[in-house]
Amino acid sequence: MLHPKGAFNCHIVPMYFRQLLLMCVCTIALSSHAQRLSSIRGVIQNQTGSPLPAITVRITELNKVTTSNQGGEYRFSNLTPGHYTLVFSGIGFKTLHKKAEVKAEEDSRIEVTLQESMVDLNTVTVVGRTEVQEVNRQAFNVTAVDAKQLYNSTLDLSSALDRVSGVRVRESGGVGSNFNLSLNGFSGNRIRYFIDGVPMDNFGSSFQINNIPINIADRLEVYKGVVPIWLGSDALGGAINIVTGDRFRNYVDASYSYGSFNTHRSVVNAAFTTKGGFTFRLNAFQNYSDNNYKVTVDASDIYTGKYQRDAVLRRFHDTYHNETVVANVGVVGKKFADQLLFGITLGKNYKEFQTGARMVAVFGGWHRRGNIVMPTLKYRKTDLIKGLDVTLNANYNLGQEQNIDTLSARFDWFGNSKPNVSGEGRGRSLSKYSNNNGLATATVNYKLSERQALALSNAFSTFNRKGSDVFNPSFTRGDVRPRLNKNVLGLGYTYDEKDKWSTSVFGKYLYQNTPGQSSFNKLGFGAAVSYFVTPTLQLKASYERANRLPEANELFGDVELVQGNLTLKPEESQNINAGFSYGFAAKEDHRFLINANAIYRYSYNYIYSRFNQNQSALVLDNLDGVFTVGGEGEVRYSYKKLFTLGTTLTYQYLQNQQEYVLDNYGNWVKSPVYKDQMPNIPFLFGNVDASVTLRNLGQKGNVLNIGYNMLYVHSFWLYWPSRGIASDITKSGIPMQLTHDMNAVYSLKNGRYNIGLEVRNLTNRRLYDNFSLQKPGRGFYLNVRYFFNSFKI
Amino acid sequence: MQLRSTLALAVAAGMLASCSKNESGPSNPGNFILTVSPAATTGAADYLLTAQTLDSDTITTKRNGVEQDGTYRYYVTHNGKFFSMLYGQGNPGAVTAYNIQDGKLNKLTNFQTETVQAFAPVNDDLLLFKISRNLTAPTSSWYKVNTNSLTITSEGTVNTLEMTKLGELAHFTWLKQVGTKVFAPYQTILDRSFNTKYPNQAFIAIFNYADMKLEKVITDDRASFLGSYFQDGLSVQENGDVYGFSPSAATTDNKISTTKPAAILKIKSGTTEFDQSYYFDVEAASGGMNITSWQYLGNNTYIVHSQSKAEKTSFPAGSRVGIVNVVDKTYKVVTGLPKLEDISNLTTNNYTPKDGKTGYVGVNLKDGNSFVYKIDASTQTATRGLRVEGGSITAIQHLK
Repeated sequence: MLHPKGAFNCHIVPMYFRQLLLMCVCTIALSSHAQRLSSIRGVIQNQTGSPLPAITVRITELNKVTTSNQGGEYRFSNLTPGHYTLVFSGIGFKTLHKKAEVKAEEDSRIEVTLQESMVDLNTVTVVGRTEVQEVNRQAFNVTAVDAKQLYNSTLDLSSALDRVSGVRVRESGGVGSNFNLSLNGFSGNRIRYFIDGVPMDNFGSSFQINNIPINIADRLEVYKGVVPIWLGSDALGGAINIVTGDRFRNYVDASYSYGSFNTHRSVVNAAFTTKGGFTFRLNAFQNYSDNNYKVTVDASDIYTGKYQRDAVLRRFHDTYHNETVVANVGVVGKKFADQLLFGITLGKNYKEFQTGARMVAVFGGWHRRGNIVMPTLKYRKTDLIKGLDVTLNANYNLGQEQNIDTLSARFDWFGNSKPNVSGEGRGRSLSKYSNNNGLATATVNYKLSERQALALSNAFSTFNRKGSDVFNPSFTRGDVRPRLNKNVLGLGYTYDEKDKWSTSVFGKYLYQNTPGQSSFNKLGFGAAVSYFVTPTLQLKASYERANRLPEANELFGDVELVQGNLTLKPEESQNINAGFSYGFAAKEDHRFLINANAIYRYSYNYIYSRFNQNQSALVLDNLDGVFTVGGEGEVRYSYKKLFTLGTTLTYQYLQNQQEYVLDNYGNWVKSPVYKDQMPNIPFLFGNVDASVTLRNLGQKGNVLNIGYNMLYVHSFWLYWPSRGIASDITKSGIPMQLTHDMNAVYSLKNGRYNIGLEVRNLTNRRLYDNFSLQKPGRGFYLNVRYFFNSFKI
Repeated sequence: MQLRSTLALAVAAGMLASCSKNESGPSNPGNFILTVSPAATTGAADYLLTAQTLDSDTITTKRNGVEQDGTYRYYVTHNGKFFSMLYGQGNPGAVTAYNIQDGKLNKLTNFQTETVQAFAPVNDDLLLFKISRNLTAPTSSWYKVNTNSLTITSEGTVNTLEMTKLGELAHFTWLKQVGTKVFAPYQTILDRSFNTKYPNQAFIAIFNYADMKLEKVITDDRASFLGSYFQDGLSVQENGDVYGFSPSAATTDNKISTTKPAAILKIKSGTTEFDQSYYFDVEAASGGMNITSWQYLGNNTYIVHSQSKAEKTSFPAGSRVGIVNVVDKTYKVVTGLPKLEDISNLTTNNYTPKDGKTGYVGVNLKDGNSFVYKIDASTQTATRGLRVEGGSITAIQHLK
């Protein structure tokens, strides 16, 4: 399944990489290597036999603490012989005490099964240490979102991410519309997406974060600015890792929702695992929406050109639907593999385009189809040899994209159309192409000692576009063929003294090549440090010199709106984060958590898009630089098991560092907006969420949860803030956005049956993320979900 | 610590910037309108500034000026109104109409047309042409926009491939009202890069304006095509004579291929044929200069922008300024402008009081400074006038 070039694709071992390796080895040699004594280890399971990760294990006599890994395994080494008491505790489980005897030079095995307990998850979000918070305690500037708490909503991944501080998702319309996620002001391809650590680059339009439901994920990890090496990629502004997890060996989780604008969504997640370790896993989901919501628009009459001011009209050509199945078969818990899965991702999407970049540009005959056919391989083994963990992933996307507009007509908002006789502007297209993306990643972790670990990771990807367009014979037939190979090699060293301090240093070597073009070689490096002043007060700082290589679509064009630019240079950035996290309780029942971070970014050769010379398409180009400072904070409060309240606030200031620009006549002229604030980027935004949980309502084990979420985005200008009269009447801007969403979920039989009702945009405000592109008004959604995991095969 | 204070400062600055959203009039009211485009690689919009005089003073786009949605705009003044037209490839062309009240721009209305490649005042209308560049879809469309009702009143099409009878498309360089007719000089093109196999001919299509019927096409092989893309190559004198300049810029295989020198041709008043007795070889009279743009001051006198032979490009934009008298067939160099190597570009959409000697030109310098220069054709001198800060000048207009 691996690409013939293999996971360790070392075309060149550059000098600096060797130096980096040497540096790491020296650091390791300096630290002492303790002698090996006795040890205790084992596997922690729940009642159904599923391994339990993130369980805290403590030896009371020695005050030693560890946490179980993904496979439920834990381990204490370097123990002196004697009698000990082990305490196993975890969120949602009854604490278990167990006596153990350790004999000289012997490995003792203690396997335990924990009983579930009804601990309030909401309280836990503030006080406890779920896996989500375990991620947050890393030295990196990372926020993890517990997806499980959102399972009874109709959110997709992108709208769940929109609630994270520092993140802003800008959508152009309703279900399936284009989105642009920005992280601390960096957006587009500077942010990389991963699913279980596997890069999602070039998965095509059928498998994107705006069409994947939240129920697929166990948690979402948002790495801001500094990205650990095991996420092997050329992320420059940060990375988002979607962890699907394998929480249960056997379960069925199915939900269906129906709501406004004829929106249907369904999700089925299931896993079946035999005693012998044979497993079958299925994730299937579907979204459908007419997106025929009403918009308020200055609608021009196609014949006279006269505008009807503030006409309220329904969108008429905006249907979207996608259907995806991810199926995996394989084995778990074998000697040769903790997990070996062969899978396939099959999916397709259909999307109609209603408008262009502005609502004045109305379309009525343009749509896109895409599909994904992607075989996958996943392999994971911890302790392949003592202390050595190996993860391998490979996939190949055979999917196709089609862009279809055979009408070539101009539409108005009333649905009238006129043929576009000259074919000027948006002409006809009937393109059909596949990008043939292959990917292979390998990660090796080696524990040098209890506290030290080395990690090596490599990600290789390949791109080869083939296709045709009957209306455009030159399609993919340029001088340079659209082909690309990319390799990212990373090496990292971590020293971790649990709950005291930890540090990571890492280096990344990036290589990219297109036949017939000069290749890119880039070296990146960074470090992250974390220190616990007290167990609940953590300080963090991290730094990375990050690189972002030009994407295939940027070099070769996306065959539709983006024209290729083969001279595009990689972008480089210095990213610095510093922050703290502090949790405390007032009178035990009132619990607080405060997170705050400051960020600094400076990027050179900033990649941005501009119009091409005759303004028919966008071209990616390099800008001298952009400098960013900002801060973000989060405060959470909980009262008993009853009430939670949280708020996030982000401020970011992006400054233009381009002093000279090329004018339309090919001359470099001094720019009047040098050092001005970058336009069309939200700079102040936040959200507030609150929830009330009523337990044992009606019947024991039934829970009613009422939640509220508010999103605030300060107004910002479309064009440069310093230019023109700063008035709403004469200057284009995106007005202040304030949305209120509410939901109520009634869960029966300990969460087996769930009924949810959701209202989005409660006050029916006109919402805009992008200038003039109105988003849906008030919508109601009903969601039913069934979850069942207490069975064995 | 330094980061923190920088941060605090930035926060404060951001708050201040976002709080100052109050309405205020232009800091420099007046009846001259200058359109200014800040040099920026992203988020660039044009700004309309007003000025009382073009001869002195300083105006800026900093917290001043009426923002226009997007750059790539074209401006025209007609029937007491100022029109700001968006050139949005493929998207409908948004037009905003203004008049001036007490020296302030007053928005009358928005309306929507098409993205067009040529437009010109005819009677009380603006005539717009959307021109095909596609040999397989050779239909070009025209639109008449009434400047009183501000609506499209009629529209129609013309086959611009059949027009040339050469197997190439006619691409109008501009449109000109001549009496009850519209003269549309064109270049022939066979691809989107404007290449032609006929680089040594000038063409004018003549339409009857009332019904936009194509009456005839006239050609002349003493010069290459007249005008150029978005450049008005024709001029109507007080006595009705029509003059047209050729920049000598036709290309074949993306290289300038015309062998005809830059020249001026004439069509006598009342006729619809080139006057074979008139020919002005501009290159010979000027020592190798062409004309890339001109402005009629009255009294047979023009301010022209020129390129030397070495500077010649296929979409010509000259940074040299001369004075041409089409009757005397003279070309005189204007002095007093900044050094040629310091100039980025000159504006081609300019104001003249039509007194036969005075005109204004916007000069955008490479150091980011922009000035209006007053040109005196009688002495061939340029004098620095109004200074414009925060962008380059793209048009100079006047409204009463």
